[in-house]
Amino acid sequence: MSRPTVAVVSPGGESKETLAIPQVFKSPIRPDIVHSVHTGMAKNRRQPYAVSEKAGHQTSAESWGTGRAVARIPRVSGGGTHRAGQAAFGNMCRSGRMFAPTKVWRKWHQKINLNQKRFATASALAASSSAALLMARGHNVSTVPEVPLVVSSTAFADAAIAKTSAALALLKAVGAGSDVEKVAGSRKLRAGKGKLRGRRHRQRRGPLVVYNPDEDGKELVLAFRNIPGVETSSVYSLNLLQLAPGGHLGRFIVWTSSAFSALDKIYGSTTEPSALKKDFLLPSATMKNADLSKLINSGEIQKVLRPVRGGAISKRSVVQKKNPLKNFQVQLRLNPYAAAFSKNKLGQESVKSGKPGSAGAQFEKLLHEN
Amino acid sequence: MASNISSDLIWEITRGHSSTLVKRKQAGGQQFSRDRLNLRNLYRRKYEGVCSDKAIGVQPAKEGGVVLLTKKANKENAPASQIQEATFGPSTSTRKTYKAIANSTAKRNYRPDLRADAVARASAIRKSQKPVKEDKPEKLRGAKARVAASA
Repeated sequence: MSRPTVAVVSPGGESKETLAIPQVFKSPIRPDIVHSVHTGMAKNRRQPYAVSEKAGHQTSAESWGTGRAVARIPRVSGGGTHRAGQAAFGNMCRSGRMFAPTKVWRKWHQKINLNQKRFATASALAASSSAALLMARGHNVSTVPEVPLVVSSTAFADAAIAKTSAALALLKAVGAGSDVEKVAGSRKLRAGKGKLRGRRHRQRRGPLVVYNPDEDGKELVLAFRNIPGVETSSVYSLNLLQLAPGGHLGRFIVWTSSAFSALDKIYGSTTEPSALKKDFLLPSATMKNADLSKLINSGEIQKVLRPVRGGAISKRSVVQKKNPLKNFQVQLRLNPYAAAFSKNKLGQESVKSGKPGSAGAQFEKLLHEN
Repeated sequence: MASNISSDLIWEITRGHSSTLVKRKQAGGQQFSRDRLNLRNLYRRKYEGVCSDKAIGVQPAKEGGVVLLTKKANKENAPASQIQEATFGPSTSTRKTYKAIANSTAKRNYRPDLRADAVARASAIRKSQKPVKEDKPEKLRGAKARVAASA
């Protein structure tokens, strides 16, 4: 285990306290499971809606039948008003009912396997311990000393955090201030009809404060609830909708130290069953080490592989062609004799022996004779 | 890095949706990145700094010149102390700046594959910091020139 402990941050004074990282943080990270469980869970808060049962049918329309040179759609009976004779009921008609009217007995909720839900929660918790995933989710964690961020429970003792100002000061002191500011700046008017339906604004999610209600008390819930984007959750009832909003892994979590140390009791390990969850063992990873390149380059694997053929002088196929007449090294590769030829200056023999002399007066005379 | 998380896994988790990813129709399908540890602003496994344990970033410095950012591989879970900064001011010659960038990263076996991109980015930043040349006054021709001469 490369990183078995995490330092506990205490905003007041210096603390050298460290805590062992609970087993749940070593669970396999499975975005596919988290996504499918999130999709199901997000559906379980819906309220039924439907159009009125009577809509489009509150008229005594009857078809005129054939022979009147109009379509056989039901038509409003009577006279004396424009409505009489107009088509009714059909989904293509003005004031008709909709196609396949919505019913309140639609299947609104999804059953999700409990073991899958627990797997997804464990997976989301493990992902929250990776700074890279936090940044990729969009959390502003550049000032956070360490993730997972554990704050000493002494900061919450005796209802010390009962006011919002104290809660905000605490978040700033532990380096979570920039994420809170990011949320406050992100508040925008929602596009569309949602504005009229109680969802007027949209904003980012900030840190999730996880506490242990037995030791930290519940006053902090009131203190944190008016800070935009900040949510609180008891460590005993963690919710995937908060741990992986939108099904995306890597929520920024601020742990109190007592909540952090309760995690081993709540989730157990891959061999020790959980104390609080019936029949639950943490999921174990299929691959103990997820770092593939480290595995491939490890001595154990390299030892059993056959050595590279050709070694260091293997042929380099795609290289620039060099002219052997200009590049001596390339010429040597083709013609090893070139070394001796050059060393003995054989190419300069003729130069050394000087210019050939004149052929003599007799030769000149003969040459110019007519 | 914890044993259950690796940079390959982080890339597979985040490649579809990441806060650094910029996906717009007008870019013609090209995926860009907002990551400051991304030397080419392209959303690729090679260039994305969030998901690699060693990454190089080159950014313009406040007072001119460039800042070299490197990610410390042993601080992957300490975001506050993760990034090392080195500033090369405007008075440092560009050649020295590029040399320093290559010497402190690629030549120390710290992402040698990014050497050319790091130097190119530093060069582009330095070029952009040069004062803009003013246009030469327009030389008038024909009728306009005659009018100007008489006036």
